[in-house]
Amino acid sequence: MAFLEAHGLTKTYGETNAVDNLTFTVEKGSFVSLLGPSGCGKTTTLQMIAGFEDPTMGKIKLAGRDLSAIPARDRGLGIVFQSYALFMHMTVAENVAFGLEMRNVDKAERKRRVADALELVHLGHLANRYPRAMSGGQRQRVALARALVIEPELLLLDEPLSNLDAKLREEMQLELRRIQREAGVTTLMVTHDQSEALAMSDRVLVMEKGRLQQEDSPFEVYERPRTSFVSTFLGKSNNFEAELKSVSPTASQLLIGGRALTGPTVNLTPGTVEVAVRPERIEIVDAAEAVITGTVRERIFLGAQWMMNVATPLGDMLVIRRNAGRREAEIGDTVHLSWAPEHMRILPLNEVAA
Amino acid sequence: MNQNGRFSQVFNILFCAFMLAPIVVVMGVSLTPEGFLEFPPSGISLRWYQAILDNPDFIEAAWISLKLGIVAATVASVLAVPAALAIGQGKFKGREALQALFLSPLMVPTVVLGIAFLRFLSLFGLNGTFTGLVLCHAIIITPFILRLVLAAVVGLDRTVDRAAESLGASNWTIFRRITLPSILPGVIGGWVLAFITSFDELTVTVFIVNPATTTLPVRMFSHITQTTDPLVASVSALTVIFTIILMVAVDRMYGLDRLLIGEGKK
Repeated sequence: MAFLEAHGLTKTYGETNAVDNLTFTVEKGSFVSLLGPSGCGKTTTLQMIAGFEDPTMGKIKLAGRDLSAIPARDRGLGIVFQSYALFMHMTVAENVAFGLEMRNVDKAERKRRVADALELVHLGHLANRYPRAMSGGQRQRVALARALVIEPELLLLDEPLSNLDAKLREEMQLELRRIQREAGVTTLMVTHDQSEALAMSDRVLVMEKGRLQQEDSPFEVYERPRTSFVSTFLGKSNNFEAELKSVSPTASQLLIGGRALTGPTVNLTPGTVEVAVRPERIEIVDAAEAVITGTVRERIFLGAQWMMNVATPLGDMLVIRRNAGRREAEIGDTVHLSWAPEHMRILPLNEVAA
Repeated sequence: MNQNGRFSQVFNILFCAFMLAPIVVVMGVSLTPEGFLEFPPSGISLRWYQAILDNPDFIEAAWISLKLGIVAATVASVLAVPAALAIGQGKFKGREALQALFLSPLMVPTVVLGIAFLRFLSLFGLNGTFTGLVLCHAIIITPFILRLVLAAVVGLDRTVDRAAESLGASNWTIFRRITLPSILPGVIGGWVLAFITSFDELTVTVFIVNPATTTLPVRMFSHITQTTDPLVASVSALTVIFTIILMVAVDRMYGLDRLLIGEGKK
């Protein structure tokens, strides 16, 4: 049975639906991300689960009980805010102890649990520091310890890593995941950073304009995006229009730039569709095998990879090639591009396709 | 360090001299052995400090001013802190009107306020009472506290309140444990400023005291209208010293720059 359930969750501000009929579930002990661009409704969703905003419609259930009548202070959720929201006039230990004090945990027990929580986030030695004397990464850990010490049924993370610099962010991704696993706490994270969501989550919920676009494992979301939005928001993708001629249970027939291709089967009716191909799946081949031919416009060397922008009749294509230690096509060269049929994702045509 | 040009240096020195000169003169005069206001003093004597002890009405007045300042500043703080929180964090209509109302005592000429209070207190039979003085002073000094507390409130991160709430704190607990400690420097700075303002308030007070509630400034004022002995100079000197001690204490604890200007060392 699902641990956290949202049913038809809707939040309306004036005329606009910030969150529009959102239904999803989170399994106990799992790490789930709500991923989307800013303004997609993910933070509003988090606020409603936390109890800081009332849903216009819909229900939230945690471990089977309806949360709507329970005020935020009684929901017992652990929340880590984007700004960390530490109590600056209290020491680290006092910050972490606050939630236990509110629960009237006795002093000895409090001390022990604060020490345990700080140990979990590797901050035991800084218990008597004040937050202002700490780095961003350390503050983040304090916020995490403060949220976890009350042993919440659900941990909510609001863009927890966005205030950290790139290197620290990567470290904290692993660290957060370790802490979450050790604490065994069901976690819902809100983020706009797709690599963060892919790296950390068991499941990813992609949102756009208040609606759920796709819910899947990180691998599936990346490999099998179901909408044009998901294909471009997660990772890089070359999207172009194609003609879907026919579909059989095992394959589909496509017409791409005047060339007939066989693609994977798809649950769509024939007509104009959108095809997405990841830049790292495109190969440079001999003229005879080409799906499309183009001219190299830009070429950037990234060390492990080459990134190329190739102008083709289908539009500009981004091509990423592993650096194999050989010379690559130069700017101005004509290149022939191809990809394996199974690497094509056939999507319903996006009306506002770029 | 020295980025100022010669001209502005000279200007600064003259400005400081202009500000300090009256205080220096009062201090000097208070040390005279003579029976009249004399500067520079012809000798050094504590005669006029001794004389304060022989004038119990001055000591009585100083006590009244001290008590009045403490009570009025505290009453004003109790008013100003919730007002500042409402104005600084609330999202209701009329916030600016409310702020203007609280700050209005700064804009009304004090003589006008004095006459108004006199009439007003008479209506309620509070004229000349200590309660009446407290009420009037609290009104006059509330803007000073409100300004400083408001500056502190505006800098607060509301998500900190939410964090406390999510950990199970009630609104009152959030105020007591989280909000108040965060704005405390502003409250204390405002309290001290308000206390000092109350302590040397004359224009309004002179309208509403009676002989039993005469404050120190009123006592001094009536003294110099009758005689010109250096007693007022020694009383003034003590008042200045008292104020300096108070300001130094606040500076040590919270940093005056931060309180009065807003930012500074954290």
